[in-house]
Amino acid sequence: MTMHLLAKSDVPRFLSALSGRFEMYGPQVHPESGDVFFDLAADGSRIRLDAPIPVNSPKFAVFPHWERILSYAYDRENKEVKIIPEDLVRPKALVGVRACDLTGLLCFDRFFLGQEFVDEFYRAHRRKIFIVSVTCTAPFPQCFCVCTDSGPYAAEGYDVNLTDLGESYLLEPGSEAGRALAAELGLAEAGPDAARRRDEAVDRSISLFEAKAVENKAWISRAVNRLTTGFVKNETWEYIGKQCFECGACSFVCPSCSCFNIEDVNRQSGGTDRLRTWDSCSFEGYARMAGEHNPRRPVEDRRNKRFFCKLSYSQSKKYLRPGCVGCGRCVRVCPGDIGMTNVVTAIRRDITG
Amino acid sequence: MSYQTGVCNFCGTGCGHLMQVENGAVRGVFPSSTHPVGRGRLCVRGWHIHELLNTEERISRPQLRTDGALIPVFWDRALDEVALRLAGFSGGEIGFWASPRSSNEDIYSMVRLARAVFRSPNISLQSDAWYRSTVEVLREGSGRPGAYGSISDIRNADFILVVGTDLTRQNPIIASDIHFAARRGADVVTLSTRKTQMSRLSGTHLQNRPGTKKMVLAALAKVLLEADRGGASSAAVSIEGSDAFLKEMEGVNLDRIEQDCGLPLPTLRETALRLKAAPKAVFVFSTGISGLNRETVALIWNLFLVAGKAGRDGCAILPATGVSNLAGANDCGAGPGVLPGSGPLPDEAAAARFKGLWGAEAEIGPGRPVEDLLADASSKIKALVVCDHDPEINLYADRLKSLEYVVYLGSYANPFTDLAQAVLPTTTFVEADGTYTNTERRIQLNRRKVDPRFESRPAWEIFSALAARRGAFWPFRSSADVQEEITRAVPAYAGATHAALEAAFGGIQWPLGAERPFGPFRFVEAGLVSGPAPAGDEFPLRLMAGKSYYYWHQNNIMKKTFIPRREYNALLLLYPQGLVDVHPDDAAALGLRDKRPVRVVSARGAMTPLVRVTDEVPPGTVYAPYFVGAMIPDFLVPHAGAVERGEDAVIPVRLEKV
Ligand code: SF4
Ligand code: SF4
Ligand code: SF4
Repeated sequence: MTMHLLAKSDVPRFLSALSGRFEMYGPQVHPESGDVFFDLAADGSRIRLDAPIPVNSPKFAVFPHWERILSYAYDRENKEVKIIPEDLVRPKALVGVRACDLTGLLCFDRFFLGQEFVDEFYRAHRRKIFIVSVTCTAPFPQCFCVCTDSGPYAAEGYDVNLTDLGESYLLEPGSEAGRALAAELGLAEAGPDAARRRDEAVDRSISLFEAKAVENKAWISRAVNRLTTGFVKNETWEYIGKQCFECGACSFVCPSCSCFNIEDVNRQSGGTDRLRTWDSCSFEGYARMAGEHNPRRPVEDRRNKRFFCKLSYSQSKKYLRPGCVGCGRCVRVCPGDIGMTNVVTAIRRDITG
Repeated sequence: MSYQTGVCNFCGTGCGHLMQVENGAVRGVFPSSTHPVGRGRLCVRGWHIHELLNTEERISRPQLRTDGALIPVFWDRALDEVALRLAGFSGGEIGFWASPRSSNEDIYSMVRLARAVFRSPNISLQSDAWYRSTVEVLREGSGRPGAYGSISDIRNADFILVVGTDLTRQNPIIASDIHFAARRGADVVTLSTRKTQMSRLSGTHLQNRPGTKKMVLAALAKVLLEADRGGASSAAVSIEGSDAFLKEMEGVNLDRIEQDCGLPLPTLRETALRLKAAPKAVFVFSTGISGLNRETVALIWNLFLVAGKAGRDGCAILPATGVSNLAGANDCGAGPGVLPGSGPLPDEAAAARFKGLWGAEAEIGPGRPVEDLLADASSKIKALVVCDHDPEINLYADRLKSLEYVVYLGSYANPFTDLAQAVLPTTTFVEADGTYTNTERRIQLNRRKVDPRFESRPAWEIFSALAARRGAFWPFRSSADVQEEITRAVPAYAGATHAALEAAFGGIQWPLGAERPFGPFRFVEAGLVSGPAPAGDEFPLRLMAGKSYYYWHQNNIMKKTFIPRREYNALLLLYPQGLVDVHPDDAAALGLRDKRPVRVVSARGAMTPLVRVTDEVPPGTVYAPYFVGAMIPDFLVPHAGAVERGEDAVIPVRLEKV
């Protein structure tokens, strides 16, 4: 598709075009805590495309932390149950999505839409999403997307991708809707050297990982190998498992973790809500089966379930890639210091204690 | 932005979170990566606090008991009735039972209502007497009634001693800090009878016999004294209180230590010397139900002194509070023997302060804890005002039933309302402004983020309204006004107004501003340390009672979440009758099998839980995590004394195969 240039001075106009037709989400700096959150924005003025990678992944826009998926009421007189579907899903624009997080969304698509069953609640959100991704022209300390093949440039999945070229962004439409938006804004076409300049920016970014992305180095492919061939010692899993505090954080922050829980809650005012909330395979009750049989009782088994899901070859076949997209978030929130990269290191080096 | 800053309200670690608020309702929660305590982490409870806040199992309306049933009424009617009925009792006849989950403003207002309006000095916090004595030990020893040092000291510590309870369960994020310290090379020593996750994450586990914790602490101190003896400086002797301390230490026989505690003397000696050599040492211990008693805490403090850590940079003693505002509730006077911010009563300066603040009529003398009044058949207690009851063990069911008037204030549906004549719905911590004080004296403001659900009102507002009905017109129009009075009533809180706290993300540790110097440091009397009673033939095993992970205060609160409730139920599914941990050797000797029932018999009671065979307990020891209701009346109530004495208490039992 034709590429365009979006002058930085034109960004507000670009954002207001989006906020006119979508609920707009994007990276914002919290005024008190300084945390960067990917969050709903009343208008474009709070969105910071250059903010560091947000603490939360944008997955919650399509997979909310807490969501009513339907409600029902029992009508005593007529002895019937009335089901009230939720149709509050409004179109959303996700602006400033980084390549890792976009890759996470694509994993979600394969999980919720690409298998035998299609998850209609996810689909309701997903159909109405407009994605503006950004190329990371420099990595953050926690990043390792180059090891997981998910950045710093998003190859697919966006409606529009932005790459910072200095005075302006290179705007690449990735869908018909993206192309239409560019046309509507009357953006200038990018010159013939645009693709080269973008590739240079991406190459420069990759070359900066060594010096800037210092928190995490992960030789993912090596770990994938060992996991797939079963060459991981039990003691290594025990070493990892005993450090897990079973908090669930790794799943909650992960852009590609999709475990959920369903609960029916009776309202005091009458009627019942069916809720979907986040869940995690690190919890014992998650895999509970009838009777006493729980296939994942010991905590080290539950831990290795997560790493199998993220790294093993069979799982990769499902997502068409490894489940870990290299965002580094689980490393920062883990009370047990067993984020993905430490686990990969433990597996690679057979660390047992 | 839909994410609003706040503080987790479960345990006393005080992790900072951001609550996701959409369309006037809480929809999610996230850790704050910049918060000084949590630094990006929450535990399983903190990650599900939005589930609790959304529960439909709330007390929704004010209710009065009429013809045996609780009937919803309008607020005015309920307040009129409660004020009138309480006025019919003398001060000594009313008990006030405060909750360590309440905000400082709510606690302070309750204390003021009790003492200045109904003239009752009988105020206590449910189930946390040991924190009070912990604070008194620290006051006597360091001159300041609170944690010595900060949680952040863990980060730079060379040596960390963890005493007692599994911190990874009680205060997981403090435990996480210790784990990180261990990974960067700190020398972490855990003293506990059971193997726990905390002990597994420690470089050294001092696995003592049950009931010998004090002996081990005393032995460590004695080793240091002996190492020091003859040294010209003999530092300990120059510290105030050393005479009594040295005398206590004379009673410690190091030669018998291995026999009594099950720990080899060389191990203890080595550990003590490592402690002595470490420039920065931090001690952490738990308070609350599995908390330590006064003597044990005194020994911990004395060890800190002997090791030369008091007054040194980077050294700390942290009594980890198991409930969110346990520390603040104590600071704000929720105890029969203190006024807000005072020392033990009588306290002249405090008396003058409160005569000024509350009027000459206020009752400023010492009272008795509500538990004592309920337990004492001859006490005059007739009425009770209770906030957010979440007891471990309801010991006084019969006495409670016989009271003439019980008022219950709370947010969540609670079986305690069955005993109440009046029930008043209160707001949760996201529905009203309030301050909370964590383990390390950090005062933090939780802002109101959503409208009060149902008809709930903040407790301070309810107490104000009751006071007004008794002719006392308090100058509070907001909780900020209450906090402003607290800053004058509690000297250590001077300056901690809502405005100041609002401006300081992550809160402020008291005392504010110029740090009043500690000291003088002194040894605190710990009493003579004796060995454990030998196990008899009839009851050869020692039983300890304690927490399990998802179990929390009979789970009244956890049962209103989804995920923590499910995890608790998973444990129930495996062990529906409750469980006791038995060492494989004991199990083999007695022919016991995993997940099979066993009869646990003591001199005073019996129960039949299931066996969990595990080497987490040493041979000769049985551990009962009390998460199942039936274990409580059948067995633990008759042993309430032992359970309440905390971790050091053991119950002699025998196991019978069934
Ligand atoms: S596993 Fe960790 S690093 Fe990988 S995508 Fe998930 S949160 Fe990011
Ligand atoms: S974040 Fe860490 S401690 Fe928490 S569940 Fe995941 S691996 Fe375990
Ligand atoms: S450690 Fe305590 S304060 Fe922190 S998240 Fe857990 S319960 Fe909340």
